[in-house]
Amino acid sequence: MKEQIQEILEEARRSIPSCESDKNLEELRIKYLGKKSSLSGLLSKIGTIPKEKRPQMGAFLNIVKKEIAQLIEQKKLELHEKADALKTLGLDVTMPGRPLPIGAKHPLYQIWEEIEDIFISLGFEVAEGPEIESEYYNFDALNTPSWHPARNPQDTFYLKGGMLLRTQTSPMQIRVMEQFKPPLKIISTGRCYRVDKMDPSHLPVFHQVEALMVDEGVTMSDLKGSLDSFVKRIFSADTRSRFRPHFFPFTEPSAEIDILCINCKGEGCKLCKNSGWLEMGGAGMVDPTVLEEVGYDSEKYTGYAFGLGIERIAMLRYGISDIRKLVTNDLRILKQFQ
Amino acid sequence: MKISYNWLNKLVPTHLDIDEFCEKLTMFGLEVEEVVQPGKKLDNIVIGKVVSVEKHPNADKLSLCKVDVGKSEPLSIICGAPNVVKDILVPVAMIGAKLGDFEIKKAKLRGVESFGMICSEKELGVSDEHSGIMIIKQDIEPGTPFADAMGINDHIIEVEVTPNRPDLLGMIGVAREVAVMLNTEYEHPEIAFEESEVKTKDEILVIIEDAEKCPRYCARMVKGITVQPSPAWMQRKLVASGLRPINNIVDVTNYVLLEYGQPLHAFDYTKIKDKTIVVRTAKDKEKMMLLDDTELKLHSENLLIADTEHPLALAGIMGGLDSSINDNTKDVVIECAYFDPKNIRASALEYGLQTDSSYRFERGMDPNGLIEVIDRAAQLIQLTGGGEISSGVVDCYPQKIEPKVLPLRVSRTNSILNAKMSADEVENYLNNFEFGTKKTSEDTYKVMIPTFRPDIEREIDIIEELARCYGYNNVESHFWINRIDNRQKRTVVRLAKNHLISLGFYEVNNMSFASPDDLDTLKIPENDFRRNVVELTNPMGEQFSIMRSTLIPDILKNVALNLSYKFENFKLFELNRIYLKEREDTFAEPTYLTGVIVGEFDPFYWKEKQRAASFYDVKGVVESVLSKIHCSKNITYKVSHQPYYEKDSAADIFLDEKKIGSCGIVKDDVLKSFEIEAPVLLFDIDLSNIIPLYNEKDIRFREIVKYPPVLRDIAVIAPSDIEVGMIEQVIKSVEPSIIKDIQLFDVYTGRQIKQGCRSLAFNITFQSEISTLTDRYVDKLFDNIVKKLLHEHQIELRQK
Repeated sequence: MKEQIQEILEEARRSIPSCESDKNLEELRIKYLGKKSSLSGLLSKIGTIPKEKRPQMGAFLNIVKKEIAQLIEQKKLELHEKADALKTLGLDVTMPGRPLPIGAKHPLYQIWEEIEDIFISLGFEVAEGPEIESEYYNFDALNTPSWHPARNPQDTFYLKGGMLLRTQTSPMQIRVMEQFKPPLKIISTGRCYRVDKMDPSHLPVFHQVEALMVDEGVTMSDLKGSLDSFVKRIFSADTRSRFRPHFFPFTEPSAEIDILCINCKGEGCKLCKNSGWLEMGGAGMVDPTVLEEVGYDSEKYTGYAFGLGIERIAMLRYGISDIRKLVTNDLRILKQFQ
Repeated sequence: MKISYNWLNKLVPTHLDIDEFCEKLTMFGLEVEEVVQPGKKLDNIVIGKVVSVEKHPNADKLSLCKVDVGKSEPLSIICGAPNVVKDILVPVAMIGAKLGDFEIKKAKLRGVESFGMICSEKELGVSDEHSGIMIIKQDIEPGTPFADAMGINDHIIEVEVTPNRPDLLGMIGVAREVAVMLNTEYEHPEIAFEESEVKTKDEILVIIEDAEKCPRYCARMVKGITVQPSPAWMQRKLVASGLRPINNIVDVTNYVLLEYGQPLHAFDYTKIKDKTIVVRTAKDKEKMMLLDDTELKLHSENLLIADTEHPLALAGIMGGLDSSINDNTKDVVIECAYFDPKNIRASALEYGLQTDSSYRFERGMDPNGLIEVIDRAAQLIQLTGGGEISSGVVDCYPQKIEPKVLPLRVSRTNSILNAKMSADEVENYLNNFEFGTKKTSEDTYKVMIPTFRPDIEREIDIIEELARCYGYNNVESHFWINRIDNRQKRTVVRLAKNHLISLGFYEVNNMSFASPDDLDTLKIPENDFRRNVVELTNPMGEQFSIMRSTLIPDILKNVALNLSYKFENFKLFELNRIYLKEREDTFAEPTYLTGVIVGEFDPFYWKEKQRAASFYDVKGVVESVLSKIHCSKNITYKVSHQPYYEKDSAADIFLDEKKIGSCGIVKDDVLKSFEIEAPVLLFDIDLSNIIPLYNEKDIRFREIVKYPPVLRDIAVIAPSDIEVGMIEQVIKSVEPSIIKDIQLFDVYTGRQIKQGCRSLAFNITFQSEISTLTDRYVDKLFDNIVKKLLHEHQIELRQK
């Protein structure tokens, strides 16, 4: 029996140090020390040897078991150290993580959403309307005289059958006022069309945002206030605006809106052509004729309207100097707007 | 604040049922938190008169009583209480009465029958007393319902009194408010008594040392009183308001507190050294023993009521032990004072003493209402304890607190409320509140604010009171928003765009014009709806002569451009309108979502082999976008025959029966015409039909199913022309409420599989919302699935 035990020990002394993995080591542990191991088998047979030799044999068995257990424990530690070392060696934190997709909205539409959100936070509702419009909504109802040059086919796209492509978002003023009674506080956004050769500052297809507010007691101060709130948020808090007298058929008094040049803050630079001011759009108090046209009492109600070009705002915000960049759809541009 | 509705109705008859009244009160600004009917749970409990008491034959401690409950025969009731004797009135719970959850039934106790139960105060919820049965000392007819007899057949209304309204902490104040609310009158209690020859001022001297902390102190005396239990009517009202009757003197101070909201204090006259009350601040470290046996160590900010030597009370908060009323008290000094709210608040907070008294004083009592209150107290003490009321009030009021006078503009009121109240209406409301008014012009008043309303400090405070009278719900709603909102479209558009971006798509923006040639390049047939184009009369050249009727040509041009810039793998989309001519002068402008995948689908990663995008990639994009905009139900896919897709490489997308788009692999020769030399996957969806379906309010929380799901795999061999979608439908149809999910996890064709067939493996999730599924039941469903697939579609289970 002693020889058998000796043999098992020798085998264990060989196999345990050459073991390569935790899993393997566990198998060896079961083999040598488990309930069904040969050592356990021998222990159960201890009753078959002479009584006087039993204690000695028992003690020997225990010593062997202890040694094997020690060997396994030592090996385990060794393996773990190795594994830790491997792990440290294998990790390179500067290697790229798994790349996940990133895309981007078109810069024009990013600005469009931002504009909508600002006006929504100022209590405006958003109305959308058709781009294919009638002459009535685009011109007549907006008090545009029949001789007005904007009506010319050199300026406005006409469709076969007499409809036209809206030249401004203002027809929505009429459509909304026809449908709802005051108070009204809306913006209308969308595509507009004008017969313009494509050049660094013109596209035949462009986008506008137009604000309209009608209620009792609406004044030109409200116009200036809401416009200022908007430009301060879309550009920066120190942006100022000024109004220059102008002519639009559907507002009276009418004005063109300038903002203090966002680049030079009025000092004069290339962007503002040294004027210190940037032209932003048109504005005014809604002409009583327009209010009467939709059946509002123009003595009771007053209103203001202003319209801004979305491309213009996007160009200023992003520093794009050629409007055509907004329709090239070149990924080298689009990828800048993630 | 607890309001007894019975009591309130005595002061101001409301002529309203309780629900109506509570609704009105809440809308007037006194929010009703709870209404309880203490008498309700006392049904079947009546007053009984014990007519005889005998020993129980079989039990020493039980008595056999005959009790007259107003019926022809007295009831036999067994009682175990030691204090049951002949000729007393007791509450009897008759058979059927409920005491809490315990219902009284006919019972046999040690062989003798009992037909009810004589109750203790605790059993009736009147008090904690349960050493014996409750004995009723008033003379009440046997058989009278207990609740009526005890005056608890009442509604107790618990209202939230906001901290600015101390005047509502008493019944009179509430009655005044209710009278304003109902535009009616209310009554003060009638106060009348005879005074003795003895002058109060000869009996007691009051000195105020700190007039800032105590601007006014009044005292009265009643001599020769008897301390005894207060009368039943007073006890009932105290109990109804949540106070415990103690003796007539304490009860009167509590009663007057409930009535007027003004705390009072009663001192034993003999305990006041030198017959002198000194209102002073404490000396530093001065000690005093309170009524509740706690000793305080005071400092110079604490206000005391003292005699010439010792503190008698911590002013406005709690009386001292030494000077308190006891059973032998004969002569009583009543204190009724006005203390500075700030000082009371500070002291109460400092010593953690929140008493009924401090609660009121720290909110501010009416300094000019003290005489009425002290007279009322004297009257009631005499009424309940006899004695003689000394003549006059000792009133120490060095500097009278005058009512505030505030200007009010009717026009201002109307402009704030958008109301059109006339000056007369306004004046009437103000007078109902007992505010004095003096008209100073057509539009303006001088309003005198009574001192019981410390909350009214400015014109706007008066306007608030007028607003309550006018009725908040009578103010017109000036409607602004939510009439035109295009939120639905905006939400869908943004969700779809944001989702595509997170999948790596870039948005493009093309102009609306197109060339008629584009449609030919896409091989769009003459009868296709996209041929109904909108033509310009003055285009900027032939290639811009129509409005685009599809977004596909532009996006393919964008692909060609970017390939020329050496981009190989990329994804683009455009979300914009197309333009269609419907009739001669009617046009449609539906919104389309069109996208392309060029090259590989996933971003490059060194560790993995790249893979060209497949039909299932573009379908996956479409499915996820539709799911993101809540449109995955009722969507089906059928093989597409759009001319610009490769054969058998594209699907048309249907919403119910309506075709709303397509996706697939773009035909090679179409790509060539656009000068594209890379495979392109395309999707093209009409959002116009989907946008109106979107409703964010569709999202509702569903309780998580408690019962565990059971997962089973099924592998079948099906003819290759049978679509997976059809097989999934067949499986689902076996038990739609239990079969929650079917996931395809393996497709295999090869040598082991019959020619013309494929092996498909699905993972099926079974789950019930109402019970745990047994294996046997799932086995049965599984069998039914196998049978249905085999018998109806010749789809076999794959043998392992």
